[in-house]
Amino acid sequence: MDPRRAETGKNSDQIQSGHVYHLALDIGGSLAKLVYFTKNDEHIVGNEKKKSPLKASGISNSSRNSPVLNGRLNFKKFETSKINDCLEFINSMKLHLGGCQQPESPGSQTITIKATGGGAYKYADLFKEKFGISLDKEDEMDCLVAGANFLLETIHQEAFTYMGNQKQFVWIDKNDLYPYLLVNIGSGVGMIKVEGDGKFERVSGTSIGGGTFWGLGKLLTKCKSFDELLDLSYRGNNRAVDMLVGDIYGGMDYSKIGLSSTTIASSFGRAISENKERDDYKPEDIARSLLRMISNNIGQISYLTALRFGLKRIFFGGFFIRRHPFTMDTLSVAVNFWSKGEAKAMFLQHEGFLGAVGAFMSSDKHGLKELLANQKVERPPSKLSFSLDQTQVPQQDGELNGDESIECSVYGA
Amino acid sequence: MATKGSNSIHRSSSRPLLDLSKAEIQGNVEEKYPTILLPNQSDDLSHLALDIGGSLIKLVYFSRHEGQSTNDKRMKILKDKLGILNGNRRSYPILGGRLHFVKFETNKINECLEFIYSKKLHCGGWESHHSDSTNDQNAVIKATGGGAYKFADLFKERLGISLDKEDEMDCLVAGANFLLKAIRHEAYTHMEGQKEFIQIDPNDLFPYLLVNIGSGVSMIKVDGDGKFERVSGTNVGGGTYWGLGRLLTNCSSFDELLELSQKGDNRTTDMLVGDIYGTDYPKIGLSASTIASSFGKATLENKELEEYRPEDISLSLLRMISYNIGQISYLNALRFGLKRIFFGGFFIRGHAYTMDAISFAVHFWSKGTAQAMFLRHEGFLGALGAFMSYEKHGLDDLMVHQFVERFPMGAPYTGGKIHGPPLRNLNEKISWMEKFLQKGTEITAPVPMTPPGTTGLGGFEVPLSKGSTLRSDASALNVGVLHLIPTLEVFPLLVDPKMYEPNTVDLSDHSELEYWLTILSEHLPDLVDKAVASEGGTDDSKRRGDAFARAFSAHLARLMEEPAAYGKLGLANLLEMREECLREFQFVDAYRSIKQRENEASLAVLHDLLMELDSLDEETRLLTLIEGVLAANIFDWGSRACVDLYHKGTIIEIYRMSRNKMQRPWRVDDFDAFKERMLGSGDKKPLPHRRALLFVDNSGADIVLGMLPLARELLRRGTEVVLVGNSLPALNDVTAMELPDIVAEAAKHCDILRRAAESGGLLVDAMTNTLDGSKEKLPSVPLMVVENGCGSPCIDFRQVSSELAAAAKDADLIILEGMGRSLHTNLYAQFKCDALKLAMVKNQRLAEKLVQGNIYDCVCKYEPAY
Repeated sequence: MDPRRAETGKNSDQIQSGHVYHLALDIGGSLAKLVYFTKNDEHIVGNEKKKSPLKASGISNSSRNSPVLNGRLNFKKFETSKINDCLEFINSMKLHLGGCQQPESPGSQTITIKATGGGAYKYADLFKEKFGISLDKEDEMDCLVAGANFLLETIHQEAFTYMGNQKQFVWIDKNDLYPYLLVNIGSGVGMIKVEGDGKFERVSGTSIGGGTFWGLGKLLTKCKSFDELLDLSYRGNNRAVDMLVGDIYGGMDYSKIGLSSTTIASSFGRAISENKERDDYKPEDIARSLLRMISNNIGQISYLTALRFGLKRIFFGGFFIRRHPFTMDTLSVAVNFWSKGEAKAMFLQHEGFLGAVGAFMSSDKHGLKELLANQKVERPPSKLSFSLDQTQVPQQDGELNGDESIECSVYGA
Repeated sequence: MATKGSNSIHRSSSRPLLDLSKAEIQGNVEEKYPTILLPNQSDDLSHLALDIGGSLIKLVYFSRHEGQSTNDKRMKILKDKLGILNGNRRSYPILGGRLHFVKFETNKINECLEFIYSKKLHCGGWESHHSDSTNDQNAVIKATGGGAYKFADLFKERLGISLDKEDEMDCLVAGANFLLKAIRHEAYTHMEGQKEFIQIDPNDLFPYLLVNIGSGVSMIKVDGDGKFERVSGTNVGGGTYWGLGRLLTNCSSFDELLELSQKGDNRTTDMLVGDIYGTDYPKIGLSASTIASSFGKATLENKELEEYRPEDISLSLLRMISYNIGQISYLNALRFGLKRIFFGGFFIRGHAYTMDAISFAVHFWSKGTAQAMFLRHEGFLGALGAFMSYEKHGLDDLMVHQFVERFPMGAPYTGGKIHGPPLRNLNEKISWMEKFLQKGTEITAPVPMTPPGTTGLGGFEVPLSKGSTLRSDASALNVGVLHLIPTLEVFPLLVDPKMYEPNTVDLSDHSELEYWLTILSEHLPDLVDKAVASEGGTDDSKRRGDAFARAFSAHLARLMEEPAAYGKLGLANLLEMREECLREFQFVDAYRSIKQRENEASLAVLHDLLMELDSLDEETRLLTLIEGVLAANIFDWGSRACVDLYHKGTIIEIYRMSRNKMQRPWRVDDFDAFKERMLGSGDKKPLPHRRALLFVDNSGADIVLGMLPLARELLRRGTEVVLVGNSLPALNDVTAMELPDIVAEAAKHCDILRRAAESGGLLVDAMTNTLDGSKEKLPSVPLMVVENGCGSPCIDFRQVSSELAAAAKDADLIILEGMGRSLHTNLYAQFKCDALKLAMVKNQRLAEKLVQGNIYDCVCKYEPAY
């Protein structure tokens, strides 16, 4: 079963009847993400087809006395505020039957799960108390990079561009993936230069990120949620608050320096008008202006940073982007603008799960990587190996909803 | 200079240009202020340019220098002797003058119009001969900035002038290029409240990044004059700060918002690294206080806008925007390989806190490899650029050494407590000073203050404010009047003019500054008495004296508050400021009568001294002469200690007493080396020096009993002697104007001096009377007098008169005498010729600091040519 030929299927909400192995968690401020492996029920350990690649590549099973399992890698999301649902879910999966038991205490009730994200600390006690699960904390950035590397190397249609409501998958030769820039837009923005597995460096960042959008937006509008603010921004017009090049040069392009009249000269530059108060501005317009200001800025700094380090590609991720095509659009426009069309912003299909996948990868018990690597030897990647049916994903979504899976194989515990 | 093809600044060809053809000096060349007639120049010649921005109108205008006569007989003969020919020197369309910088608030544009009208700047600027010009109608003034369009009609209606609009960015770059090349220490860094001035080699200026932070931010790569490109920018700029600030606070002005930021604490609004990780995140090199997300904390709390302090919001905004601009600027500089980043624009102007924030960002993002720089004349870049867009503005080829910046009282926005409206004449200036008093804002003598502190915390954990007041636009931008003196030159005998630093006392050391400000302050009442007396003690002179005292005290107070207020400050600058301040209140020569009296008294005993000297053998005589110079140097009205001495004896008594105390070895004693150079050792007789430049100090005994006998000895040995005196009076220093008379009087007692003076053209009038007696003797080497180009008790060898520079060409010995010229300045200066520095240290602190000695110690420092 080659994951590169795997179909992502919508699992709906039911847990597959198969056993759950190798769970990993990423508990963020708003969402808890799960990645776990389920064995296909009917598959028999020691299946001929599965064994052959290992034999062919001469890898001995001596270090791993575990059988190779075929099944699916599953992705699931919960709202962090409903962490109990998440706990219920994990509990219902009969993880004790999976591969997460501590080796030195087989059969005991102490189960260790790889976890990352701030919540890995915050909810550690809860997991321990309620289900006797201890969380093994992994560094966030390590997980982020490991997750991105895995997905970009393994999943064929992982990277895409998004401009003018057009989503376009980009095929990336995994031998030509590194170095790249990973821009993680959370509350703040981290910019990570990735040169290979475990080889990365936070080279830059900016404090003007998702937290700024939401923080300022909250103060300036009466919005109750990030999503509400973002919804507002779709409907707004930033001309009311931004000073455009045309406002300064009398409606004409300032062609001498290559600026069109609709270029924003100064974000909120019009809000200095003396005879208008905050309430005189539409919240939609303010939200729009904020979004453009922040996206534009991130796009610019990312591009300059990529340029500085000679990085070929820029991948954007983080909660500021997730599920928000409009945000992706503004970021793409910004990168396009500042690079004069030379660079394109790229996004990841499984973006929300980078941390969780990374945490998953931080344990090598499942041997996912190893198995994949061996398969690669036998079977060069095919362009058709992974497909995502667009119609399966609502247009509003920048990524998968979180209840999908990828077919693959792992070692059993 | 007008034909320079490389200058690609856009120029309008639609207006008449300054036509210098057939220009001539009209009338008697002996006349003190000959009028330059430009017969082919149409009347609309203007030396005014404007930058009309949204909040401020900036004016740059040029006024002709009311120079001194340079056409007296002495000069004519001197020119022959030194080979100074007009043909050798460049002819300047502008004979020197002053470049003034003035600001008005745009909403008070009427004040600006009145000012232009009163100065007649709209009709050519040459006040002297355009006062009743009727050709105003066609006048065209260069202008830039948005207001150049908006107010065009107003200028036309009220002043009858048309505004010729120049591109803003062209002007910005032209202005910056000019300033960075022509003005010494124009650029400075600003870290944690501390300014540091930087001298940039004009040949190593390009390429640089100019970041102009207005509503938005433009980043311009500048490769040369007229060669630039807008390479980047950001829409997050000053407009964003003010726009968001207005929406989030109830501030009614930009300055108010900025002032709030100084009292803010951004931890209430920003999410810091520590908020996320509970500690530093050393793995990625972030400290706990690093801002992880601007306004991120607002997402975590259910607080209404009103529950946040506007101070905190303002600070958070300021940091967000400043850091962002700093970051993007640095990345762009890196991208294009630009060495330096200069920041300007209304977001920055004069705002110490903004500068700190941007500097921090550049430092942070570049990991200390790059520094943000700012320009002192920053607010005037556009106006200067507009000025430069005149075809013949005359500023093209000017060099650093041709500008002297002075800080007159009454120039608008001079700074702090002393900024005021533009004052048109002396009377207004005095009134302004008096009004100060009435308003109860009396300017007091400087009081000791705690040193301008840094927070010691580093970074930006707490706001770095200096004092409680905001350095607003008006107070922090201290721009003086640029005196343009085309005849100034770099002294050719300096070993390395680029490395040369005249000042030996660094006033950026706060205790040093405090000490010298106190000295000047204490000396002030005595100086005012002298000044008033020199003008006959009239009511008018008393009023002016009072105004001078207030004005100078205000300068001192200002400097105590902010040492870098007037740019890089050395003791020499401080001493010159005092003289300039006196001149400003029309005290031409405060020590005039004292100098006269002392000269007379000294000349009366000169004969006896010369007799005494002539009775000595060569070696003893040389020592006695040097002792005499050092002894006579005690007569110094600049020294408080010496002023007290004067009440205790007559000149000759003090002189003899002083000389008898000259026990060798002196504190610095190179006499033996000097003696060997002069007299040789054994049978070896060295060649005499070809020409010696004697930089003289005080009037009275110092020149008459000290330096003249030494000059006489050199003349006797066949060395040409050039006495170098001040161009303008400073304390009781002898001026170049006074020297010929003193020499003429001395010549009556001495044949050597007389013949040398005749030969040097100093005794033109007396020549016929003495011809008979001297005929049979051999012609003497000449004794000459040149002016040094200074009006200060110190000398800055980067800026000396052209006649001194010319005289220096054949000189192989220079003798610097007195504290001002050989201790306060130049003690460490290196020359290409032999140099002797002679002074008596009449200040305990200076003695300790410079020579590890005591007051009245002597310095005789001899250095052979480097």
